[in-house]
Amino acid sequence: MASRIEILNDGGFRSDGRRQFELRDISIDFSLQGTADGSVTIHHGLTQVLVSVFGPREAKLRSQTIHDRANINVEVTVAAFSTGERRKRSRGDKRLLELASTIKSTFEPVVQTHLYPRSQIDVFIQVLQLDGGLLPACINGTTLALTAAGIPLFDFVCAITGGVHSASPMLDLTTLEENDIPHITVAMMPRSEQVTLVTMETRLHVDRFEEIFRLAVDAGRVIHNEMRTAIQARTGSLVASLGSGQKVEGETGVVTMMEINES
Amino acid sequence: MASLSKAEKSYIQSSLLSDPPLRADGRALADFRIIALETGVAPLANGSARVSIGRNAQDGGGGTEVVAAVKLEVENVGDGESVDEGRVVCSVSCSPTAYPHLSSGALDDLQHDMTSMLHSTLSHPSLRPKNLGILRGKKAWLLNLDVVIFADAGNVYDTIFMGARAALWDTKVPRTRSVEYKAKKPNAHEKAMDVDDADQGKSVLDTRDTRTATDFELPDYWDEGEVLDGRKLWPVCVTMNLLPSLHFLDASLQEEASVPLRLHVLFSFPTAGTPCLQTSRLIGSGFTDLTQLQSLLRDGEKYARNVWNALESKLKDEDIRRNQKARERFIHR
Repeated sequence: MASRIEILNDGGFRSDGRRQFELRDISIDFSLQGTADGSVTIHHGLTQVLVSVFGPREAKLRSQTIHDRANINVEVTVAAFSTGERRKRSRGDKRLLELASTIKSTFEPVVQTHLYPRSQIDVFIQVLQLDGGLLPACINGTTLALTAAGIPLFDFVCAITGGVHSASPMLDLTTLEENDIPHITVAMMPRSEQVTLVTMETRLHVDRFEEIFRLAVDAGRVIHNEMRTAIQARTGSLVASLGSGQKVEGETGVVTMMEINES
Repeated sequence: MASLSKAEKSYIQSSLLSDPPLRADGRALADFRIIALETGVAPLANGSARVSIGRNAQDGGGGTEVVAAVKLEVENVGDGESVDEGRVVCSVSCSPTAYPHLSSGALDDLQHDMTSMLHSTLSHPSLRPKNLGILRGKKAWLLNLDVVIFADAGNVYDTIFMGARAALWDTKVPRTRSVEYKAKKPNAHEKAMDVDDADQGKSVLDTRDTRTATDFELPDYWDEGEVLDGRKLWPVCVTMNLLPSLHFLDASLQEEASVPLRLHVLFSFPTAGTPCLQTSRLIGSGFTDLTQLQSLLRDGEKYARNVWNALESKLKDEDIRRNQKARERFIHR
């Protein structure tokens, strides 16, 4: 056995047994947290993020209101036990503020904020476990939580990380891989085929960029499918419990589709 | 804390004081809501637990929800506050989701209050586990207990201490073995490699008490370590909400807001017979007299014993679920 962990071995497997383009298991749980208007727990493999959305509601501070649209307020907290080494991050931690402002700017063009002037939408993100792909998990979770809260969006936002090891690109990196290879995060809107976020904190050869970018956009479509299925299932169960008095089995499918198209 | 109008407060108070007493969810005064507990929820922690009180069974929403996790770190004895026997540090953080109407400053104050109560109770030297020392005078474990509050639907202190007890119960301390470096004696020079093995073997395997050991290593072993000492000591909390003539348990947010005074009592039952009162705190703007306090303590002990017994049997079940059953499932896979 090699003393160093191989990012991609000769058989084409990664350190956690995945293939190059294989995504980690995504699970989505819409059960409500406290008094939130919409909340979701999303797992990307061993990364676990809990997102709660409050609003649109009156802003706590009058200075935060904008006269012609809603203000999106994002707060990220990381549990001290989420990483291998215990580290307590305070609320004012620069890294978390940066993450929060990235998420905010990703969603500002997507949420139909003009419908809610002088109000505020709060997005609280709690990171429970951290194993790479924090930003994509936060973004995907926020999309789902906003949808669950009934806040109109122009489109889904689906995010994923992509990296390159020597000449072979790979998707959805774990912490181990993120520490070792250059990677980018892409957030795309599948319906309008637009991109709302591309970030990179490492150095990447410019020739490799396009390949990874295209791959990440393709992976975004796959994630969109997962997210849409989860939302349809939830909306279906909501509709079923709404009409539990009458029988509406035939119509539920139609209603779900309408809801999805509107939001 | 939910904000209530005067009319709402007096409505809740008068229905509690009526005969028979009425509560919004139909419970009796000394009834708890349904409590759910699961250990081992944080894979990267040495011990962890999730507790929820009053969670709605249909959609999994509502209720007070808390996750507690223990992480062990090695620290050098002599730096800062560290001592030979290791120490326990507790902290509580509140997710803004739990208190959406509080500003971040008020949230910090609140979590400071909770932290001080948890830390002052659990880090007391009388509760210190015996197996946190590694190398006398050099290294010891620092036990960090982090509690995160995800949702508050009332009775958060009881939930915090239940979570803390469950996480500490679940904690495994990794086994350590001391390492010793020996300078070669000058007269043993001619013997070269032939150092007497018996002496050396003994010193490598068990030098916990000798001061010559300089460092330690983690031996490979099939489990995650031995359980943290003091399983029998970590207290449970019971909060009694006091009205002039009666008290009730497990208040919801509205009930908490309509009652002026609360008494937190923390008991542990190390042996079957003798209860041990760890802490008691009377919080609120009202007052109570001494005779009432005595009877409250007696009642508190009774409630705490019920909570203790229920928690103990649940924790034992969880141990079986996570160890014995998991092993059997692995074998019959």
